[in-house]
Amino acid sequence: MHIAVILKQVPDLVEEVEVDSNGTDIDRDSIKWKLNEFDDHALEQAVLLKESAGAEVTAVALAGDGVDQVLYAAVARGADRALKVATSDDRTDAPRAAAALAEVLTDMGVDLVLTGVQAVDDLHGQLAPILATHLGWPHVSVVSGVNLEGNQVRAQQEYSGGRMATIEVDMPAVLGVQAATRPPRYVPISRLRQVMASAELASVSAAGEAPALGSTVTRLAAPAQGEGAQMLEGRPESVAEQIVALLRERGLVEA
Amino acid sequence: MAATSIALLALILVTLAWSGYRFWRLLRPLTKAAPENRFDQPLRRVWGVVTNVGGHTRLLQIRYSGILHLMIFSGFVVLLTAVVQEFGRGLVPGFSLAVIGGNTWIALLQDIFELLVVVGLAMAAYNRYGRRPERFKGSNERDATIILVLIFCVVASLLLHDAFRIAEGHYPSASWRPFSSALAAVARLVGLRGAAAQPWAHVFYWTHILAILGFLAYIPTSKHLHVFVGIPNIYFRDLGPKGTLPAADLTQPSVGLKEIHQMGWKQMLDLYACTECGRCQAVCPAFAAGQPLSPKLLIMDLRDHLLEQEGIGSHRKGVGGDLLLGDTIHDDTLWACTTCRACMQVCPLHIEHVPKIVDMRRQLVEQGRLEPRLQDTLASLAQYGNSFNQSERMRSKWAKDLGFTIKDARKEPVDVLWFVGDFASYDPRVQRLTQSVARVLTRAQVNFGILYEGERNSGNDVRRVGEEGLFEMLAQHNIETLGKCDFQRIMTTDPHSLNALGQEYPRLGGSYPVMHYTQLLLELLEGGALQPTRGQEMVATYHDPCYLGRYNNGFDAPRRVMELLGVKVHEMPRCRENSFCCGAGGGRIWMDDKGVKERPSESRIREAVALGDAGYFVVACPKDVVMYSAAVQSTGMEGRIQVMDVIELVEAAMEPVAVPVGVG
Amino acid sequence: MSGVLVYVESDGERVAPISFELLGLARQLADSLGGDVEALVASADPSPLVRELGGADTILEVTSPALAGYLPEAQEMVLVDAIRTRDPAVVLVGYTSAGLDLAAGAATATARPLVAYCVGLKVDGSDVIGDSQLYGGKLLATTRTPAPAVFSVVAGSFPEAAGHAGGRGEPVVMAPPAGLAQLRSRVLGTTGTGAGTLDITKAERVVSVGRGIGGPDNIELAEELAAAMGAELGASRPVVDSGWLPKERQVGKSGMTVKPKLYMAVGISGAPEHLEGMHDAGLVIAVNTDGNAPIFKVADYGTTCDLFDLLPAITALLKPVG
Repeated sequence: MHIAVILKQVPDLVEEVEVDSNGTDIDRDSIKWKLNEFDDHALEQAVLLKESAGAEVTAVALAGDGVDQVLYAAVARGADRALKVATSDDRTDAPRAAAALAEVLTDMGVDLVLTGVQAVDDLHGQLAPILATHLGWPHVSVVSGVNLEGNQVRAQQEYSGGRMATIEVDMPAVLGVQAATRPPRYVPISRLRQVMASAELASVSAAGEAPALGSTVTRLAAPAQGEGAQMLEGRPESVAEQIVALLRERGLVEA
Repeated sequence: MAATSIALLALILVTLAWSGYRFWRLLRPLTKAAPENRFDQPLRRVWGVVTNVGGHTRLLQIRYSGILHLMIFSGFVVLLTAVVQEFGRGLVPGFSLAVIGGNTWIALLQDIFELLVVVGLAMAAYNRYGRRPERFKGSNERDATIILVLIFCVVASLLLHDAFRIAEGHYPSASWRPFSSALAAVARLVGLRGAAAQPWAHVFYWTHILAILGFLAYIPTSKHLHVFVGIPNIYFRDLGPKGTLPAADLTQPSVGLKEIHQMGWKQMLDLYACTECGRCQAVCPAFAAGQPLSPKLLIMDLRDHLLEQEGIGSHRKGVGGDLLLGDTIHDDTLWACTTCRACMQVCPLHIEHVPKIVDMRRQLVEQGRLEPRLQDTLASLAQYGNSFNQSERMRSKWAKDLGFTIKDARKEPVDVLWFVGDFASYDPRVQRLTQSVARVLTRAQVNFGILYEGERNSGNDVRRVGEEGLFEMLAQHNIETLGKCDFQRIMTTDPHSLNALGQEYPRLGGSYPVMHYTQLLLELLEGGALQPTRGQEMVATYHDPCYLGRYNNGFDAPRRVMELLGVKVHEMPRCRENSFCCGAGGGRIWMDDKGVKERPSESRIREAVALGDAGYFVVACPKDVVMYSAAVQSTGMEGRIQVMDVIELVEAAMEPVAVPVGVG
Repeated sequence: MSGVLVYVESDGERVAPISFELLGLARQLADSLGGDVEALVASADPSPLVRELGGADTILEVTSPALAGYLPEAQEMVLVDAIRTRDPAVVLVGYTSAGLDLAAGAATATARPLVAYCVGLKVDGSDVIGDSQLYGGKLLATTRTPAPAVFSVVAGSFPEAAGHAGGRGEPVVMAPPAGLAQLRSRVLGTTGTGAGTLDITKAERVVSVGRGIGGPDNIELAEELAAAMGAELGASRPVVDSGWLPKERQVGKSGMTVKPKLYMAVGISGAPEHLEGMHDAGLVIAVNTDGNAPIFKVADYGTTCDLFDLLPAITALLKPVG
């Protein structure tokens, strides 16, 4: 069984996300990138399926800055091979990625595609459903656990309020992963370095044109502060007193 | 040859063959073990044997036990002459040591030391069965008892043999054997004299022979093996700087200790040398906290696992399973270690506990068997270069509100390059102390600078956690950054960074003069650059941080600083080399606290409060500030003792200035 | 092409609150764009739901046994079919699990642009102007999209009340798509939350912890505070994912929605997914050392004090004296 995991980088939110001079996009030069947390879970889930069912795992990503590192890390984690997909433009949004990936994945004999359920910057839609639609395969998102039963894949789908459903899907299929059965494992740096020295990343080109987005971003900015919170200042003891006074005033705790 | 001589010869040969075979079985894994270079500096090594074995330096740290061991040990040495004598006589009739004084002064010494050994044995028995010290918990009592009994047999039979020979009459050394003579007098009293005494002399002669031969046969699977292994183990001890861990070859597919046979030969020898004395267990902060780590049991478990793997049969049946990690030694045991080195400091046989633990941790890291919080912290270190999951740019945020600008050591030359460290930079509880240091250095007009966002975690505890690759990555980054700077020496407020920079970095190409900030403060105070005007008349106790004290011998500078400021230092019982770890080292501060029954830091605060008059607990390490402030709160000692960093004392002793004096 | 189509979510018996928000929004958009507000209900038995949908002009009923319970593949088939048949100018889907399943796929299948994470939508001529939350709530993207288009809307962005009435409420029966006979997936079973034991949605006071708490052993600081306050303990998704607290305590989009009188957010950054679970709380007090954390935008009071100092201080003040 062949599993493809689609990985992409997103801005690291630990830093402040700066807007570029046009005011319509983030300042891609100043951003620190990191692997999309949900893609990380998708990769872990794929490796878990490899360990339990002997599947083969290919990590796939659109070519771009820093993508090599992501793919090497995926191989160090347990992916059998890595594939970079080059396109004729530098768009990384989900509709563009899905079009290119559908082209490439169709001939790869892939049974299951795993990718993160969403990303912090997928304004124009999430990758899993769009890719599935291009490929004509069934898909399920918000998946927090996958296992294989013979020729079927069973996904746990999560809803609000803690409800869950087990959905069985015929392969080939696409899953949007929110959480793997287990949190992503640790990969020691030494293994990563070994992989970087020895592994090879395959490359392939997607010829197709980028689909039109049909929508334009006219402005990207920090949301208006509005009132915001009234900040309490002072040393912890003083702030604690202010808070308790507030609570007592409103009858939220006993006086 | 007489029949008895032949019988004795046969006995000796059989015992030697049997024991020899068993010794060979013990030695075999060492011949196939990984190499270790412990053959350098022979003179220094010999001297260590002389002081440790002859001088009993570490053994005497526990006076009672040290003395009793000295008695038994010296007796053993002296009574070798008796062994030679008795076996010699048995094989070659007429053999005697008379020519060199065998019937005179040697006989006297033998008699005295025989009694000394008996007294020593009595003391040992009282200790083991009467006083029952905590450190013996978990040790093999059956083995200990057998040993005491055998030693008693060997020595008592000697005494009694001589006594009955004297009672028999015409014993050449009689007048030189006071205690044997006294026993002989008793024998005569009950009618055992002359010919009646002779058979008894024979009985005790053969008892003596059999006891010695039996002992020889017993030793291979007993902790008494240390009589053979002890001296080589001390000879081959680690002479390297205390603060370095053995290197790992990261080009290999696998790092760390997965199977016992991968151990180095000296590491294996350590296992045979252990006498289960438990001194390591007694000083271990993890053990004191109720965690599943006892350095003694770790070594015993490793030893018994090795013996079982070799099919020799271990001291204790059914220890662990086939696997080294997980079965024999549990993950929790390995993660509980703070790498404080107290165990290695007190071990009379110079066993190396910490490198074994780290080597096994390396394998756990490779297998991804990490505690979840630790995993998150390592991810943070790999991504951001600090353990706080914060951006690199926030590292120097503490320096923004000072009112003056600290030099950027990456951009201009400085005299002192201040390597700040993670906790001092990111932890809000410590940042104000870092600011104090900056103010004090500026007042003293020290030409100093920091690396701002160029600094990364020094990697000391990353190495101790077993993540070699990450350690190298962090170290290489720091070394590269430092390589572009122009400075005379490095100063740091963090003892862990001090250790990494001074002891671990040279192997990676980064060699610098490194000092702790207390040394710099001392220099400034003694040189007059800092002039304290307000004496800090107080009684305080000082806590030696593990990585400054035990690891880098930095005991005196902080004390001198305190004295110069007028502070009266009241030492805690566990001070200097015997300082008791706060529990944060070895990556423990990055791990979950569960399973800890009493935090080491809380025990330490109680120790300080018990002094009675120490109102202040003075520290010189950022992690200590964090750990002990929390401990003072959690033990409810806020009114009784206050945690203060050395820099707070210094700043309080200075006349306040309205505007801080800038440099340059 | 005209009108606004709303995909209605339900548990089979009752319409989900977000659908009412969407209907209210749909009315506003339809007033500017022209056309009807159409509500799409796909179920084995839509009758209980139809009764509640007075906010729509037309209620598109698609009935089939294959639509019993929520199955992404079946629902998407129905939605795509409805879009093709009714040709609305705007399609509204909620940002929920269903939204994540259906919106992007349906938009792609019907060759319409999709704008996600909308917290604001209005019409300008024949274009729709949207405000979308990105980057964990740190940035707002304003988009201009010519109709026809699909929008997924964040819960809590629009008033629910507006969606209950004001439409003609005409039911229109649509034939179920033929593809429902050849589904390639199926629901094997569902589980609800563990019945009984823990239900933080009923609590009047909630103290919630996020990643900032640092680790499971620090949670007792929050537990003590919660006990002193008579509050329930809640958690953000990362805390539950890491196993520090059970799922029943998770507040947010994929957890519980709580409406307590007091909500204390401790060490929580305030990502939109979390806010969705508590935005209706009475008094919100946030504790976070990052002064720029999005949580401060929705909190009434905030402080950048270190929670390790602050929480014990508050607990001490609340404990009875003597």
